[in-house]
Amino acid sequence: MRALSYLFFTTLKNRIKELRRHPSQLILLLFLAAMLALAVATAGLPSEAGAQRRPLAELRAMLLALYAAMFLLLCKNGLSSGASFYSMADVHLLFSAPIRPQRILFYGLLRQLGASVLLGFFLVFQYSWLHDLYGLSLPGLLAIVLGYCLTVFCAQLTAVVLYAFTSGSERRRRIGKGALYLLAAAAVLGAGLPALAPGTAQEKLAAVVSAADGPLLAGFPVAGWLKAAAGGLIGGGALPAALGLGAGAAYAAALVALLTAAHPDFYEDVLKATEISFTAVTASKEGKMAEPLPARVKVGRTGIGAGRGAGVFYYKHRLERRRSRVFLLDGMTLLWAGICIVFSFFMREEGMLAVFIFATYMQLFSSSTGRWLRELLMPYAYMIPEPPFRKLIGVCRESILQSAAEAAVVMIPCGLIVGAPPLLIAGCVAARFGFALLFMAGNILMERLFGQVLNKALILGLFLLLMVLLALPGVAAGVAAGILAGMEAAMPVVALWCAAVSALIAFLCRDLLDIAELNNK
Amino acid sequence: MFTVSHVTKRYGKLTANSDISFEVGDGQIAVLLGPNGAGKSTIIKCIAGLLRFEGEIRIDGHPNKSLEAKRLLGYVPEMPAVYDLLTVGEHLEFIARAYSLSGWEGYAASLLERFELADKKEKLGKELSKGMQQKLSVCCALLHRPKAVIFDEPLVGLDPHAIKELKDLFRELKRDGAAVLISTHMIDSVEDYWDIAHIMMNGRFAATMRSDPAAQQEKTLEELFFEITEAPASAGTGGAV
Repeated sequence: MRALSYLFFTTLKNRIKELRRHPSQLILLLFLAAMLALAVATAGLPSEAGAQRRPLAELRAMLLALYAAMFLLLCKNGLSSGASFYSMADVHLLFSAPIRPQRILFYGLLRQLGASVLLGFFLVFQYSWLHDLYGLSLPGLLAIVLGYCLTVFCAQLTAVVLYAFTSGSERRRRIGKGALYLLAAAAVLGAGLPALAPGTAQEKLAAVVSAADGPLLAGFPVAGWLKAAAGGLIGGGALPAALGLGAGAAYAAALVALLTAAHPDFYEDVLKATEISFTAVTASKEGKMAEPLPARVKVGRTGIGAGRGAGVFYYKHRLERRRSRVFLLDGMTLLWAGICIVFSFFMREEGMLAVFIFATYMQLFSSSTGRWLRELLMPYAYMIPEPPFRKLIGVCRESILQSAAEAAVVMIPCGLIVGAPPLLIAGCVAARFGFALLFMAGNILMERLFGQVLNKALILGLFLLLMVLLALPGVAAGVAAGILAGMEAAMPVVALWCAAVSALIAFLCRDLLDIAELNNK
Repeated sequence: MFTVSHVTKRYGKLTANSDISFEVGDGQIAVLLGPNGAGKSTIIKCIAGLLRFEGEIRIDGHPNKSLEAKRLLGYVPEMPAVYDLLTVGEHLEFIARAYSLSGWEGYAASLLERFELADKKEKLGKELSKGMQQKLSVCCALLHRPKAVIFDEPLVGLDPHAIKELKDLFRELKRDGAAVLISTHMIDSVEDYWDIAHIMMNGRFAATMRSDPAAQQEKTLEELFFEITEAPASAGTGGAV
């Protein structure tokens, strides 16, 4: 055990020492700490007199959806490739060392617990709107983060166990997969069936929320228990909190016991997942932005078929999109779109503006992906003998068209749910597309100005700051137009501003592919 | 031919290349030797137009970032530049379309045949081993028949057959009048075909050696390399042999 504790604490110590050598990481850490402090400070502020809070049952229903989605997705990954708590160095040095596998398993679990806490940190940034809508306190937020971390932890553990017991047999794997699908279907049916009863949309929604927050779905493995625990901690229910946490702890203990007793030789089971994770990390270090690909890619018809010079990038991207089984929008974009649409349900009384602001806030984080960015990490975009601006347009063309489709897919359902007039919905689609162009142009500008800066966290911070600065005049003009002529006039003004700024940035950065550096370190 | 004149490349406070000048003539093979971190890949990327630098690089008289220079240049990166979702054949089609080539199919087929990729034409980039990806990268770099070709550690990860083919290819490029620059730290892999060798240390040329099979060389390339790289840090460097 001495070797494992030495490894654990030395790694931790070196990570802290690294902060001195990389001040930008320290700044990021301080920024996160400041956000947490801000959350504490705003939690202490008195609520607006007479402010209407939405029922806590809605929050608990959303927690169930989040926890269940994470649990099922991670378990499903476990069936195909397992999950790993280890690095490649652990695999090579620890697995071959004379240390009992059980101890190595506990070391891995401890590491995984730390990683789960980091994963849950993004929830802290949702504090503001959760506080406004549901009157969530800081301890309540911490309860949600705790529930999330434990869900991820249990899901990873389940993934290892599932892989250990199913990897040797296709039949067992199919059974495992079927069980997961059944669980997902049961959750959807359990929450969705009450919506089939006659009633207004509001009554249907209330019925869905009530079912998701009911005792039946509180029994949903892990996600339901930990939702009940978090809900109990938020609402002061000691019994559901204790029961939920107890069930989660018992589940984790049972899985560990099962793994150590029935399947002590688990090294092979985590090896594949470790290698996959190592490949992804190495690819990232080498500047290859990993693209989420289906396990089996169907090649289908071969040949790019069209495009010459810089125009070939667009047709290549179309081919790549088909092979990655993306027909209109990719999985992550659909997930973000789904979050916005679900949110619009809960915000429908706040109006279209609130929904649009939330959707744009989410868009800021989801925009920094796309095939065009991956293209900048390959040498071809720089080396092909074509004018740089033409190459830039060719490389971005597919993403621009996808952004237009995404704007419609997100804003039209949101507008219909909120009951916004068609003109306003059209304006929101245009404004969202405008923001998508602005964020894309912002990424281009970042590449142009800071392409050689290797610290991605610093880049992200600068990007967010830059976007706020660039969007601000347009938003101010939109607010002015809204005051003078209503919301319908505000959105086109914002859209026009964003499109104009984006065009200007693209023009100013037209030599990007001549001047920027291939940043693949 | 291509010329590199007084090129300096800095990453913040670190100087990766310091005032480097050299040229590679038509039909000449130059090798860049040096330990890890000597600055070989950096100068290669500068020539390929992938990095900003101080100084001047010209390909056949054209600035290296001009369209004319890009048409003349082929670059094989250290890490294979392969798209996961394109097949082997589509990689070559992509290059042919991007460089607006015509009548390229025959040459593409011969390159694939030569590097034992012909039967893998329908395989996706992500399905290839690293060695096969490297071979595909070589095919992509050569399809437009460049007059200047730069290779960054081209032999790493290749099987013996591919190494033999690549060495033959270097000689063919030389025979056809191309200027070839190869960066490597495997001295024994270049012993039999180089014309001029530059040994790099700490971002500078520590020595330059010309191959002269007729003359009795005072030192072998390997001896010179170890003399320079294993010398104490204070020992002077620079000079020609």
